[in-house]
Amino acid sequence: MLDITKLLEEIKASPYEEVVIRAPHTGLVHFADVAEGTRVVGPTGMWKEIPGTRIATMEREHNPKPIVAHEKGVISKVHTELEGRFVEAGTPLVHLRHFLSKDEVLGIILKKALYLFNAPERAKYYFAPDADKKIKASGPKAVTVHDGQELFIMSRMKREAALNYSGPEGVIYAVYFQHNENVDAGAPLIGVCPPDQVGLIEDVVIRVQTEWIEQD
Amino acid sequence: MHTKDHKVLVANRGEIAIRIVQACLKLGLEFVCVYTAEDAASGHVRIAREKGGEKSLYRIASYQDANELLAVADDSGATAIHPGYGFFAEDYRFARRVAQRENKLIFIGPSWRVIRELGDKINTKRLARSLGVPTVPGSDKPIYDEMEAEKVARQLFEFQEEQGIERPLVLVKASAGGGGMGIEEVYDIDLFKSVYRRIRNYSLRQFSDEGVLIEQRVLDFNHLEVQVVSDRSGKNPVHFGTRNCSIQSTGLQKRLEIAPGFDPSALQYSFDAQKVLDDITEHSLAMARKVGYDNVGTWEWIVTRDGRPFLMEVNTRIQVENGVSAMISRIRGEKGVDLISEQIRIGLGEPLGYTQQDVTFEGVGIEYRLIAENPDNKFTPWVGCIEQFGWEQEDWFQMHTHVPTDMPYDIPTEFDPNLALAIIWGKDLAHVKERGIEFLDKLRLEGANKAGEALKSNVNFLRAKTPVILKF
Amino acid sequence: MDIDKKIQHLTERLSYIKDIFGDKQTENVRLLETRLEEFVQRENALPLKEKTAAVETIEDLFAFVEKKLENELTPMDKVRIVRHSQRICLRDILENVYDNYTEIGGKDENSIDPSMLIARAYITRRSGKRTYHQPVMVIGQEKGHGEEFRNGGSVTPWGNAKALHYMKVAETENIPVHTFVFTPGSFPIEDAPGAAQQIAKNLYEMAGLRVPIVSIFSEGGSGGAEAIGLADIRLMLSHGYYSVISPEGAAAIEGRVRGGERAGSELIEKCAMQLKMTAEDNVRMGYIDHAIEEPALGARPFHYEFFRTLRQEVIRATDEVVLSVKGFTPFRAMALRRRRGKTIEDLDLENIYVRWSLSSSARDRLVGKRHKKFLRLSRQAFLDRRPFVRRFSAWWYDKGWDIYSYFKYDLWRKHQKQVIYAVEEVDAEARVLVEKVLRPWRKLTNALPTTQGRDDSKERELTMLSQWDQEDEARNGQWSYVSSRSKEDRAITCPNAATHGCLDLWAPDLFGEYAGVCNYCGHHFPMEYQWYMHNIFDPGSIFEFNSEVESANPLGFEGLDVKLEQAKKKTNLKSACTTFEARIDNVKVVVAMLVAPFRGGTVGAAEGEKFIQAAERAKKKRFPFVAYVHGTAGIRIQEGVNGVIQMARCTMAVRRYIDAGGLYLVLYDTNSYAGPLASFLGCSPYQFSIRSANIGFAGPGVIKETTGMDIPPDYHNAYRALSRGHIQGIWDRRDARHNLRQALLTMGGRNLYYR
Repeated sequence: MLDITKLLEEIKASPYEEVVIRAPHTGLVHFADVAEGTRVVGPTGMWKEIPGTRIATMEREHNPKPIVAHEKGVISKVHTELEGRFVEAGTPLVHLRHFLSKDEVLGIILKKALYLFNAPERAKYYFAPDADKKIKASGPKAVTVHDGQELFIMSRMKREAALNYSGPEGVIYAVYFQHNENVDAGAPLIGVCPPDQVGLIEDVVIRVQTEWIEQD
Repeated sequence: MHTKDHKVLVANRGEIAIRIVQACLKLGLEFVCVYTAEDAASGHVRIAREKGGEKSLYRIASYQDANELLAVADDSGATAIHPGYGFFAEDYRFARRVAQRENKLIFIGPSWRVIRELGDKINTKRLARSLGVPTVPGSDKPIYDEMEAEKVARQLFEFQEEQGIERPLVLVKASAGGGGMGIEEVYDIDLFKSVYRRIRNYSLRQFSDEGVLIEQRVLDFNHLEVQVVSDRSGKNPVHFGTRNCSIQSTGLQKRLEIAPGFDPSALQYSFDAQKVLDDITEHSLAMARKVGYDNVGTWEWIVTRDGRPFLMEVNTRIQVENGVSAMISRIRGEKGVDLISEQIRIGLGEPLGYTQQDVTFEGVGIEYRLIAENPDNKFTPWVGCIEQFGWEQEDWFQMHTHVPTDMPYDIPTEFDPNLALAIIWGKDLAHVKERGIEFLDKLRLEGANKAGEALKSNVNFLRAKTPVILKF
Repeated sequence: MDIDKKIQHLTERLSYIKDIFGDKQTENVRLLETRLEEFVQRENALPLKEKTAAVETIEDLFAFVEKKLENELTPMDKVRIVRHSQRICLRDILENVYDNYTEIGGKDENSIDPSMLIARAYITRRSGKRTYHQPVMVIGQEKGHGEEFRNGGSVTPWGNAKALHYMKVAETENIPVHTFVFTPGSFPIEDAPGAAQQIAKNLYEMAGLRVPIVSIFSEGGSGGAEAIGLADIRLMLSHGYYSVISPEGAAAIEGRVRGGERAGSELIEKCAMQLKMTAEDNVRMGYIDHAIEEPALGARPFHYEFFRTLRQEVIRATDEVVLSVKGFTPFRAMALRRRRGKTIEDLDLENIYVRWSLSSSARDRLVGKRHKKFLRLSRQAFLDRRPFVRRFSAWWYDKGWDIYSYFKYDLWRKHQKQVIYAVEEVDAEARVLVEKVLRPWRKLTNALPTTQGRDDSKERELTMLSQWDQEDEARNGQWSYVSSRSKEDRAITCPNAATHGCLDLWAPDLFGEYAGVCNYCGHHFPMEYQWYMHNIFDPGSIFEFNSEVESANPLGFEGLDVKLEQAKKKTNLKSACTTFEARIDNVKVVVAMLVAPFRGGTVGAAEGEKFIQAAERAKKKRFPFVAYVHGTAGIRIQEGVNGVIQMARCTMAVRRYIDAGGLYLVLYDTNSYAGPLASFLGCSPYQFSIRSANIGFAGPGVIKETTGMDIPPDYHNAYRALSRGHIQGIWDRRDARHNLRQALLTMGGRNLYYR
C-alpha cells in the first residue's frame, strides 16, 4: 500500500526542481531583462494562452524568437557570457529554481500509484489514431484501455510499428511522453488507473490538493 | 573564387558525411560538419573533430531543419553546402533558398530548376517521351475524364495481350499522390471503372485534384541505373556506367548493387544485354543534355524479361551506391575514381576536364549494404549496441562506415539503420563473387541489445544472394 | 400617509436626478436636497393643510428644476436616462398603452430568454357605435427595471430567434408587429446559432415580412436593435438613443484602450456627442421617422400622460403604414396627414377606424415600400465624385440592362426551352430511322474478311507524348500574384510550432509557393486581398465598377478625416469595399470585396452603397454574386447610424437579389466580425471560409467587457464556426479557386442565372 504521507514528506524536504532552459536551436542569443533572483512565470490564463516570462530572444535566419519560461520559479543562473553570441542547439541559457506545483507533486506521487506501461524500445511514440482523436478531443482520461489494445505507434529508424498495451484495464491517468521526442527503453509511456484503484487515486489527489501549498 | 578557397558545409550524417569530409580533404577544401545530440557518437563527428577541430563542428537541433543548416553555414563562413543523399538532396526549395538568399551559397548538386523539373514524375515522363526515350506504356498526363480513362485502360489490356503477357495488369494512381498512397492494380477491364472512381475520389479528397494516371503494371523486371556526371555548363554529360540494383529487401530497399548492370560476357540473357545497356546510357545522356543537367545524377530504369527498358525516374543526387560505379571506372586509365570529390569539384564550378572517351571500365564490383536488421522478419531493424566490428583490409575492397571499430556503438534510432557499405572489386564476375563471399566470411560484426539478445544482421542474406547476382 | 408617499416619490425623483447628472449640476441638486430635507425636518411641526401646501411647493420646485435641467441634457445624460432602472420598460408599456395583452413565449425567469418579451395585445377602438379590437404582436426587449435575470435587455441568439418566430406567427395571422427596442446591444455569445447569425436571419426575414412593422426605439444599441428594428415606420422616444455602439465602446476604440482599462469619462462624453445618437439627430438624418416627446428628464412609470401619447403615436404609425398601401383610402389618409401637424391631444384617433389586416397585393406593396424606404437612406453619407455626365450615362447603362435582361431571361428563356425540346425530339427520331436503313448494309460489310496487318498504333499511342493543354497552368506553385512578403530573406515561425512541431519556414517559400500556408500543419497566415483577386479569378478578367464612390465623414467625427485620408493613401482605394465583375473558369460573377487594410474593412455608407449596387448589378445581369470578405471589423463606428443602417439596407439588397433567383455566396478570409456578419453576410445560405478566418459577432475584448466571460482563444476560429453551423465549409487557400468553381456549379443549379 502506498504511504502518501511519507511520500509527501519526502517531497516537502526538497521541494525544488532545477530547470535548465536550453537553446532550442542554433542562433544568436540576446537575454531579456533577467538576472539571478528574477522571478519568472510559466504560461498563464485559463487556457494557458498567455506565454510565460520571456527569458531571451534567439535570432536565426533573421527570425527573432522569444525563449520563454515554461514553469514559474526564480532564476538561479544566467549564462550572460553567451550574450550576443551564436550558440549551438541545446546550449544551457538559464537555470531556474522551480518550486514544485500541485500538479507536479501529484504527478510524482501518481507515478508510484498508477500502473505504468513502459516503452519497450528507445523510439518516438504516438497514440494510435483512434485513441489520439479521443485524447485530443476530451483528454486522456476519456480513454479506457484494456490488455492487448492497439494503443501506440512506435517510430524508430524511419519505420513505424503498432504497439499493443498490456496490463490491467483502466483509464489513462497520465501521459509521460511528448510529441516528437524520443523515449528511452523502460521509461513509462502512460499511467493507467485500474477501476479498483480509483479510490486510492482520488485520495492522493485530495491529499495533495489540501496539503501541498504552492510557493512562488 | 578559386575552388580551393571554398568551405563546404556537410549537411548530412553518417557514411556520406564521412565521404564528403574525405573528399574535401582530398581537394584541399575546408569543411564544417553538423550533428545532433542523438548522433554525437557517429563516425562523421569523429573525423570532423580529428581533421577540422571543434570549430568545424556544430550541434544542431535537427538535420531536417534548413534554418539550422543555413545559420551554421553563415556562422562558420561556409560558401557551399553538400546535401549528401536523403534529407535535402532532392529538395528544390532548399536548393533554391541556398542560391537565392541574401548570403548566397553554392548548392553542391544540380541547380534547383533541374531538380524541380526532374523531381516531377509526370514532367520527367513527358520530357522522356518528347525525346523518344522509352517509358512505361500509359498516360503521361493526369486524366480527368472517365471515358478517356477507360479508353487508355482498354488499350493497355489489349496491348499487353498482344505482347503475350499472361496476366495483364493496369495501374491506376492519383497523379497528385506519391509514396504508394492512392494506387491500385486492376486485372480486369470490367473492374476498372470502380477502381478508377475510387482512386479519383480518394485523390479529390486527399489532394483536391481528380487527376488520375493509368499505366501498365510491369511485374518481372530488373532494376538498372545509369550514373551521369556533368559540369555546370550542362553541355557535356558523361556516364560512369550502369548498375544493377535488383536485389532488394521486402520493403523494396536496395541491399546489393552490382556494376555493370548486366554481364553478357559471363551470363546468358534472353535478349541482347549489351544493346540494352548501351541504349539506356545513350537515352540517359540525351535527357541530361536536353535539361542541361549540371551535377551528378542517376537515371533509373526497369528492364523487362524480354529486354525492353523503361525509364522510371531521375534521382538528382549522389546515390548511396556511387562507390560501386567508381570502383570499376577508370579516368584516362587511372584507378581511384571518387564520384563525390568529382561532384564537389564540378559543383563548385570547375569544368569536368575529360570526355566520355577518357572514361573506361574494368572488372565487376559489388556493393554490400551492411545493416543491423532481421531479413527473416520483414527486414525489421535491430536496435542495440555494436560491440565488435572489424575486418582485414585488402586492396580489393573499400569499407565506408560511420560505425567506430575501436569502441562500442549504440545504433541511433533516428535514422536508417545502415552500418556500412562494403565495395568489392574482382576482375570478372566469378572473381568478384568469390571475393565477396570471402569478405563476408571474414567480417566480424557482433553486438547485443538491452535484453541481451545477439545482434541480427543481413550478412547471411547478402551471402545467399551473392551467387545469383546479375542473373535474369 | 399620502404625504409620506409623496415624499417618498420626491426622494426617488431626487436620487434619479443625482444618478443622471452624477457630479454635474451639484447646485440644483443641493437646492432640491436642502428643500426636501428642510421639509422632512419640520414636517411634524406643521398642521396637515400647511404640510400639503408645502409639499405642493416642493413638487412645483421639482418640476421647475427638472424642466430647467431638461434643457441642459447632454447626449451622455440621455444614455444614463435610458439605462436607469426607473426608465419605463416594455411591461409598463404593455400595461398602459395596450388595452389587453397576454405574454407568450415564456414568463419572467421561466423563459428561454427573459430579456426578450413577446405579447399578443389588443388595441380597442370605437368608431361610431362599433367597438373594434385590433390585435397586434408586440415584441421587444425587457429590461424589467433592473431585474437581474433580464440581463439588461441584452438578448441571446435564441431570444432573437424567439422574436423571429413570433414575427412569422404575426405574418401568418396577418396582424401588425410592434417592436420596442430597449437594448444596449445583443449578448455577444456564439452558442448556436450565434449572435451574428441570428440577427442576420432576423434582418433577412424582416426584409420580407408581409405585415406592417412599427418599431419604437428607446435604447437602440447596434446589432441588438437591428434584430427587431427593421420597420416600416421607426419611432423614437425623445430621450432615447440609437447608435452603432455604446459611447463607452466608442471611447475604448478611440482611446485605444486595451485589456481591463477603461476610457476616461470625458472621452466617453465626447464620443456620445460625436456619435449623434439622440432622437433629434436621428430624425434629422432620416433614420427615425418621428420622435415622441417625453416628459422632462425622460419617461418613468408614473408619467401616465406619456403613455397616452405613446398609444396615440403607435396607433397613428400603424394606420399610416396600412393606409399607405391600401387601395382606396383618400379620406382617411388625408385625415391622417392632417393629424401630422397637430399635437396628439387634439386628435381623436380612436374614432377613425383603419383595418390593420392587409390583402395579398397590399402586402406586396408593403414590402416593396419598405425596401424603397431603406434604399433611400444614407445616400448623403458618402462621396460620389463622378461628374454628372458619367452618373447619367451609368444610369442609362443600368436601364439598358434592365430592358436587356427582361428580353433575354423573361421573354426568350420561356420560348427557348420549347424550341430546344422540339429539336431534340426530331433528332432522336431521325437517328432511329437512319439506323434501320443502314442495318442490312452493315451486316454485309462485317461479314467480309478484313486483312489485318500487325499494327503498332496502340503501342505508339500508349508510349508517345500526348497533347496536354494545361501543361503550363499554375503548376509548381506558381501563382499569378505573389505577396510582397516573399521578397524578404527571413524565416517565419508558425504559431502552431510548439504543438505541431512545425519547423521555421522561409518567407519566400511560405508567402510564395505555399500561398501563406504552413507546410507542416496547414496553418493559414493571412494574405493580401490582391492574392485572391488575382489567383481565384481568371487572369485579366477583373473589371472594377463604382470605384469613385468614396468613404466620407458624415458625422464630422473628430479625426476620421485624417484617418480616411491615410487609409486612402495607404491602400490606393477609396473605400473598404471594392466591387468588380470577374470570371472564374469563364463563369461570370459579380464580386463585392471587403478589404481589411482599409480601416479594418469596416462598413460605412459608401461601402454599403457599393455593396447594394453590386447586388443590383448581379440581379440585372443575372450573374452569381460573391461577397469575398478579406476582413471586416464591423460597422465603421465613426459614421454612427449612417453605418449601422447599412446592415438593414444591404440585407434588403441581398434579399431582393435572392428572391429574384440569384446565387449569393459569401467567402470569409481573415477576421470577420460584428455588424456586416450580423446582416448581409450572415444571411447568405452559402457561407464558406478560408482556414485563416475568425468569424464571430464580437471580439474577445468586447465579450469580456460586456459579459465578463473569458472565452477560449479559438472561440471564433473557422472550425468552431463550422461546428456551430454558421458556415458551410472551410477551404484551403490553395484550393479556393477550385472550391469556388465547385460551389458555383453545385449550388447554382436551376436558380443560377448564368445557366
